[in-house]
Order: sequence, then C-alpha cells, then structure tokens
Amino acid sequence: MKLNRGAVLLLVPGVGILLAFLVLPLANVVEESIRLFVPGRIGAAKDAPYTLFNYAELLNATYLYYFIETARIGCVASVVGIILGFPIAYAIARLLGPIWRKFAVGFLIGIMFLSTLVRVYALQLTFGPTGIAKFLSGLLGVSMNGRIYTELVVVLGLLHYLIPIAAITLLGTIQNVNPRLSEAAQALGAPRWVAHLTITVPLCVPGLLSAFLISFTLCLSAFVVPMILGKGKILFVSNLIYARFSEIANYPSGSAISIIVLVLSLVIIYGVTYFVSSRWIKH
Amino acid sequence: MIHRHIDNFGAWAILFAILITVVFLFAPIIVSILMSFDARSYLGRFPPTEFSFQWYARFFSDTYYLTGLRTSLVIATIAATVSTCAGVCAAIVLDRYDFPGKQALETVFLSPLVIPAVVIGFALLLFFALIGVFQGYPRLLAGHIIITFPYTVRTTLAGLTGIRRTLTEAAMTLGANERQAFWDVTFPLARTGMVAGAVFAFAFSMDDVAVSLFLTSPTTYTLPVAMVSMMRTNFDLTIAAASVVLMLFTIGLIFVLDWIVGLERLIGGGIYRS
Repeated sequence: MKLNRGAVLLLVPGVGILLAFLVLPLANVVEESIRLFVPGRIGAAKDAPYTLFNYAELLNATYLYYFIETARIGCVASVVGIILGFPIAYAIARLLGPIWRKFAVGFLIGIMFLSTLVRVYALQLTFGPTGIAKFLSGLLGVSMNGRIYTELVVVLGLLHYLIPIAAITLLGTIQNVNPRLSEAAQALGAPRWVAHLTITVPLCVPGLLSAFLISFTLCLSAFVVPMILGKGKILFVSNLIYARFSEIANYPSGSAISIIVLVLSLVIIYGVTYFVSSRWIKH
Repeated sequence: MIHRHIDNFGAWAILFAILITVVFLFAPIIVSILMSFDARSYLGRFPPTEFSFQWYARFFSDTYYLTGLRTSLVIATIAATVSTCAGVCAAIVLDRYDFPGKQALETVFLSPLVIPAVVIGFALLLFFALIGVFQGYPRLLAGHIIITFPYTVRTTLAGLTGIRRTLTEAAMTLGANERQAFWDVTFPLARTGMVAGAVFAFAFSMDDVAVSLFLTSPTTYTLPVAMVSMMRTNFDLTIAAASVVLMLFTIGLIFVLDWIVGLERLIGGGIYRS
C-alpha cells in the first residue's frame, strides 16, 4: 500500500522517540567529542574551541591497550563460546527427543535471559574466594588475586551468556543442514569425525560466522562483567567510557571513545548482515 | 581401525565437553541459591552448613533495595507500555506500506539493539545536562524507552509478517472494509508478537545496568543499580537473596513466553530436524 496520512501519523511516536532519545543525543556526543576539555563541568563549555585532541589522545599506547585487550579477550571468549556451543546445538537438533529438546531449549533460553547481575554475582560466589578460587588457581599454578586468574574469571563471565547465544544461533543453522549428506559420506566409508569435519562443519560456516560476530559485538560492548568480575584489573572500553564520566568527568574524551566504539560495533554488525545475506542470495 | 578409535574417543570427548559446559552454566546458579539461605551472619565459604531465611528478611526490610525495586517496576511498566505502543504503530506501517527509504527506516528503528548500552547512557546523560533536566525519573524513562523500543518493533514485525496477506484480502472480498479487516483479522493474529514484545521490553528494562548507571539521581535509582553499589561496598548475602528474587522473575518470564509464543517458535524450526 502507498503511504497515506494515517500511516505517517502512526510513524510519529517511533520517529519522535528515536530523534529525541537517540539521534539528537548522539549528534551532541559527536559535537562534544571535538571540543576541548575544560575540567569541572558536565559537557564542554559552549565557547570551547574545536579540537581533534580527544581522538588523537586515543592513539596513545595506554588507550590503544584497552581497545586491544577488549578485542583480544572478546575474541578468545567468542571462539571458545562457539566451540562449546556447537556440540550442544548439534545434540539438541539431532539427538534429543521432543520433550528433552524443549527442556534443553528452555534451559538455554533461561540462562540467556538470566539477569546480568544475577549471573555475575553467581559467578563471583562460585569462582571467587568463597568458591573454588583457591582450588582452581592452585590447579593452574597462578595467584588467585593475580591478573591471569582475574582474566580467566572475566572470560568465564562472558562465556556464561555467550554459550547459550551461540548454541541457539547454531541450532537454527544445524537444523537446516541435511543430515543425509554426512550419513552418505559415512556410508561411503568416511569415519564419523571426517564426515562431520568435512561436511557438517563447512555447511555451517555462515551460521558459525554470524554466531562469532554476534558474540564478538556483545563482548565489545560488555560492561557489567568486566566491571564486577574484572575487579579493576581488567577494564573493557565500556568501562573506560564510564570511568571518564564517574571518575575524572572528562566528557569530551568519553565522547570520543563512545564514537569510536559506536562506529566499530556498527561496522561489525552491518558487515556481518551484508556478508551473510550476500552468501545466502548466492546459494 | 584407528578411525574407529578416533570416533569413539571423539564422541566421549565431546560428550564430556557438553557435560562440563552444562555444569558450568548451571552450578553457579545453584551455588548462589544455596548461599542465599546461609545461616552464617557473614560471607563464608561455600557450602553453607546451616540454613535460614535471614538474608531474605534483610532484603525485604531494607528500604534501599525496596526503593530500587519500586522504581524498577514503575520504570519498566511505563517504558514497556510506551515502547510497545510506539513499536506496534511503527511495525504496522513497516509491514503494510511501501515507501522509499523503508528499509533504512527499519534499520534505524532497530539500531538501539546494536549500539552499546554504555554509549546510549553516556549520550543521554550529556543530552539531558545540555537541556537542563537532572531529575532521575525522566532521564531513566528516556533511557529505558530507547533500549526497549527495538524489541517491540522486531517482535511485532515478526508477528505481522507471519500473517498471510490473503487473509486480509479474503475478509475484504467478503465485504469488510480495510479498517474492519485490520481489527478483526490482522490484529488478533498479530497479538502474540505484540505481547511478546511487551514482555521482552519489560524484562530488558528490569535488567538494565549500563544505561541506568548514568541516569540515576541520588534519590531515584533502579534495583540493578542498587545491587551494583551494594556489590562494591558490602560483603553480605542480601545480594544473593535479591538474585534469587530476580531469578524467580526470569523463570516466570520463560513460562509466560512459552505460554504466549511457544519456545519452539521462538527459535524456529528447521528444514531437516529429526
């Protein structure tokens, strides 16, 4: 149907919300990010001169380090999340009967919907000093207050929601791969592991890729997990933005970091959508 | 022969990995539930030796938490209502009408999903400072509306696109006008998607930390924000009790979703599912 006046009216609330609470605030952040920092006030002074200093500052090794750390830890967590999520998705799609299947999916969705704070607190109790911190860090031969153990707990915190998300994303993919193909390979003499590695897994590549990129984007914007489980030793870029507000009140610098994080997230997400959809259309 | 061994070993290794993963996902929840009933008056090691309801009593008599809980419920209710209304209106237009830039508009409507919450919180903080609004309620409401809005658009849209256009056409062939066809045919069928959107919106509003942390005022704060500040300063188990309360809420949500949408439909079927 062609757009008429009634339809335009229906769009008004949505567009209004977006303009007022997203577009204008973000535009303000862009403007703020190129203002010179004047200490002691919320937002830059109206007459503060324009500068690219806030961005140039981020090229400094100390700041670059936060971006690289976020990407590195996020990458590790995403890859491990997919490796652990794939067998679960496969088992649910192929091996479980209808009742267990529903139970398993309910379990995964329940874990996925668990309040972030509940998750983080539960992990803190379990892997912190009240739980198995001493045992686990002893097993790995590291200090339970050291950086390595803290990083491990942060990765576990990320995994706790990445695994269900990866499993649910891959469940859809595996359900659309014809099981007869790998069965045919096995009937022709290929061992099971060869059949799966050369047939099932390659057919799941688009799903694996989008699961990875969904996970990775979630890691890039992770905030609560590093804030609570990182204990100040592990800081993600999101925490850097918050610290710019809560600790030193440097709004222009916080704005510049926000813009960089925003652009990175959008490029990754829309890059994936484009890649996955172009692959689907080709087939 | 060697392949047979690799197969067997592989199958056991994968089964073991699945088992460990499920334990990893489940155990922390059990630990925090058990700890919330701990009878010791301090934060001791797991497992607790005696059980009591003291932390629950503390939680439900602590005005700090209760104020947060009340604010959370009020904000979540209003935010979910506003964004569901706006989202349903927007989704109807996106589904039924054709106009240039439709795809772009849909992308923009869904964009709060992919923008990091911290960035949204930070942007709103600066914006409200610019226009001189410093009260907690309007700021929190704005933040919660913008983060819940895309969920309502997406689920309503998913519900609407599932309805075949032929049904509306049949109603109109039988003499209904466009308005009647919409209210008597399309709307009842799309209701599932709308309700699911409202449930998602409410749940995400209740759970949000990253946006709220920027927008609270000393007197207006949400339950998650109260919990974060308690986690930093306090070492008692009231937070575990609060966690269990929120967990019950999550379980309730799963049942509601299963009841109105069906979990199977939420993840979708497949072509080759055994």
